[in-house]
Amino acid sequence: MVESKRTWKSYAGEVVMLLLCAVFFIPFYYMLVNTFKPAKDATASPLSLPIKTFTLDLYKEALNTINFWSSLKNSLIITVVSVIIIVVIGSMAAYAIERRKNRLTKFLAFYFLVGFMVPAQTTLIPLFNLMSSLKLQNSVLGMIVLYTSWCNFALFMYQGFIGNVPKDLEEAALIDGCGLWKMYWKIAFPLLKPVTTTIVIFDVMWIWNDFMMPYLFISSSENFTLIMEVYKGVGQFSNNWTVMLCTMVIVLIPIVIFYLIMQKHIIGGITAGAVKG
Amino acid sequence: MKVKIRKELPYIGFILPAFIAYTVLTVIPLVQTLGLAFTNWDGYSLKDLDFVGLSNFKLVFSDRTMRSALFNTIEYSIIFPVLTTVFAIPLSLALNSRMKTRNLQRAVFFFPSVPSAIILGYLWAYILAPTSNGLLNKFLGLFGMKPILWLAIPGWAKFSVMMVNLWSQVGWHACIYLAQLQSIPVDYYEAATIDGATPWQKFRYITFPLLASAMTTSVMLLMLNSMKLYDLPFALTSGGPGTSTTMVSHNIIKSAFVEKQYGKATAMSAIFFVFIAAISVVQLKVMRKREVE
Repeated sequence: MVESKRTWKSYAGEVVMLLLCAVFFIPFYYMLVNTFKPAKDATASPLSLPIKTFTLDLYKEALNTINFWSSLKNSLIITVVSVIIIVVIGSMAAYAIERRKNRLTKFLAFYFLVGFMVPAQTTLIPLFNLMSSLKLQNSVLGMIVLYTSWCNFALFMYQGFIGNVPKDLEEAALIDGCGLWKMYWKIAFPLLKPVTTTIVIFDVMWIWNDFMMPYLFISSSENFTLIMEVYKGVGQFSNNWTVMLCTMVIVLIPIVIFYLIMQKHIIGGITAGAVKG
Repeated sequence: MKVKIRKELPYIGFILPAFIAYTVLTVIPLVQTLGLAFTNWDGYSLKDLDFVGLSNFKLVFSDRTMRSALFNTIEYSIIFPVLTTVFAIPLSLALNSRMKTRNLQRAVFFFPSVPSAIILGYLWAYILAPTSNGLLNKFLGLFGMKPILWLAIPGWAKFSVMMVNLWSQVGWHACIYLAQLQSIPVDYYEAATIDGATPWQKFRYITFPLLASAMTTSVMLLMLNSMKLYDLPFALTSGGPGTSTTMVSHNIIKSAFVEKQYGKATAMSAIFFVFIAAISVVQLKVMRKREVE
């Protein structure tokens, strides 16, 4: 009796949750469904399915107007290269700080921690001057340089993790005459894989989705990232909102694919970070 | 001594790249901003700078837009974390149940935090529009309600920015709580059941206290992100109507890069830094205290 009551209740709970999920998802449904209809239908009935009037013309128009491939290439280069640099320099520094506990490394750990208190907005003005004097303004390389300054978040995450990794194997290798560089990449770094996954996921999402930096530092459209195409689209498609929706869908596709592949690690990564924090 | 230095040298080499990147791109610009806030810098040459004391700061506080941006940011960074926490904790409890579709549910609630806030802002601007493609007003119309000018009335615009951000962030923060929930031993609840505790008592005296450390993480993240909020109001309301949704970060960027008023912008940045630093220090203290306990 008690058992059956519980299952009835849990079914009701499940139905309520699924309804809530549906409500939560409506904005994305709205965005997607109106990209396959002529604008007239979209305005008249924004939630109807495009059964009779299915069309891909809007996507053709969006793809013809935005520089999709060039921006995709820029977004990919900027994200991949900066994340690799962040992981390499952040993990190495964290490793050295964690394995060599002395006054200098303690000070350095604190020095890197201060960066968490610095919002990007407070450093923008001098950074802008620095980038223009280095001729790195309005360039893909410049964006990569800017994002490497986010290495202190990775450093902090690695530091917390390395403390719990046993060092016997590393010490044995060093005593056998293996150099620090070789030992680090052959033995120590592979052991950091769980936290590397988390850092890669967070940094990929942040850098890929970042708007402020490209908005301020990139001025010509051949260097635009995908997010900048959306921003540009507001002006271009102001009379054509369903083409604007197409642009948003197109720009979303790569990060959604990334999310679907990494989903298990993403939710796991947040939980791992939270327990530690 | 020499042997020791030689042994330490490779480790210093390991730290050096991160040290240089961080120093050149974060520390030096920060120090420059803090210093320039007290000068008559014109945005170009660093020669012939004059010390002007607090006059830039006076400019900030006498400027109505700047004052209103400061007020909006403080208001937002208090209300939004509370609001999100109030929704994220019950959501995490629901997502922690043994439902068959719980993985799907988690994925759906988390999903709005995946796209860039710029995309979400523009998308919601359509949904909230008073025109015929405005989904929400169309829905309200079904109940005979008049369209609400969500983004054109200051109070509603503030409300809309918060609601859209809540929709996008609540799933992420529920995941932070979810981790903590999964680490609570089942015995606690079994013992409480035997003692005849009601579900509310179980939540109040077992679950809630044990969520404390997740709450510190989540609330501090929410506060810091609220203070830095930029993309969403940029896309959704462009800071308007008037200055009702203009945030500090919006204002710094506008006065520096559009209006070229570097004195004001650097002074505002300095104030902004002090705010964030103060909150971060409190966060570190609270976290250390917890670790000691």
